Amino acid sequence: MTDIKVLLVDDEVEFASALSERLRLRSYEAKAIYRAEDAIPFVKSDKPDVVLLDLKMPGMDGIEILEAIKQFDPTIEVIILTGHGDTESADKGIKTGAFDYIMKPVDIGELITKIEQAKKKKNSR
Amino acid sequence: MGFEKEQNLRVLQLCFIGKILSGFTHEVKNHLAFIKESVGLIGDLMESKKSLSKQDLQENLTILHSIDEQIGKTSELCSYLNRFSHRMDYPMCTFSVNESLEELIVLINRFAHQKRIGLEKDFQKNLPMIYSDPSRIQLIIFSLIEEMINKYDKNSRIVIKTESLKDSLMVQITPKGNVVTSVGETRLSSFEILQDVIRQLGGNLFQDDKEVKITLPLSEQALTETN
Repeated sequence: MTDIKVLLVDDEVEFASALSERLRLRSYEAKAIYRAEDAIPFVKSDKPDVVLLDLKMPGMDGIEILEAIKQFDPTIEVIILTGHGDTESADKGIKTGAFDYIMKPVDIGELITKIEQAKKKKNSR
Repeated sequence: MGFEKEQNLRVLQLCFIGKILSGFTHEVKNHLAFIKESVGLIGDLMESKKSLSKQDLQENLTILHSIDEQIGKTSELCSYLNRFSHRMDYPMCTFSVNESLEELIVLINRFAHQKRIGLEKDFQKNLPMIYSDPSRIQLIIFSLIEEMINKYDKNSRIVIKTESLKDSLMVQITPKGNVVTSVGETRLSSFEILQDVIRQLGGNLFQDDKEVKITLPLSEQALTETN
């Protein structure tokens, strides 16, 4: 295991479970949750280093979750996952405090780089 | 139904198509994301379990890699289609002409490819953004390119060039090849319609034997931003 705890929040169950499995195979302590409402309680109990957050989920807006995470612990870095063709919502996320964003379908190499950079930033605080 | 109501209904229909398209492309991208992760996971598992010979592993990984590439290309097309569908969200906005043309060229490339006509870009870098109607401009450029595709022989090329002038921006479309059909009356009337639309947007549309030129005004607000 690396010392990086990653939480993936995405209502696309199959996508999230395959991606979290791929991260685990690369020795990350990765967990996935599929309901927007579960995100904040899970973040509070599990205290991940990096959250991969889908912005468009039923039940709760991704930006609201991002705000709540940052309010709880500003050192938790959030990387936005977005399937949108435009970057409008991702830009909004960055303005709200997200570390970065990545478009779906995800390039695993690019994602790993961003996770490592996010953790580095967290450690430097 | 009166003319104005008919026109309004037409606008609603376009918005409707745009929304359906954007929702559809978003969904397709979600499915592609899952397929991509599954393909990646199969590759990861094959590499980690070492149950295959080196040669078999390599062959399987090559197949998975080509699937991954196709997913990437499909996803890219969906992104272009998604952006295209969002062009109808606002009638007037500040946007990059280069990006809207890039998107259009990707989406209409198949029509050109079927006639073995190449679409080539010659875009000026750092072209100023403009305040205009992106969907209408795409429609006009499409109509002009489509006509050239119909009019020119296979192995011709159509070069789409962008350039900033003093107070305006120019899109120049130049066909390079041999004409196979003659210009008809219907074409002329549709050209006049396109000309009217460009004039409504504050620009001009000129055509001669060699090329078509469209100029579009740069607004003061748009001048401060570059793409």
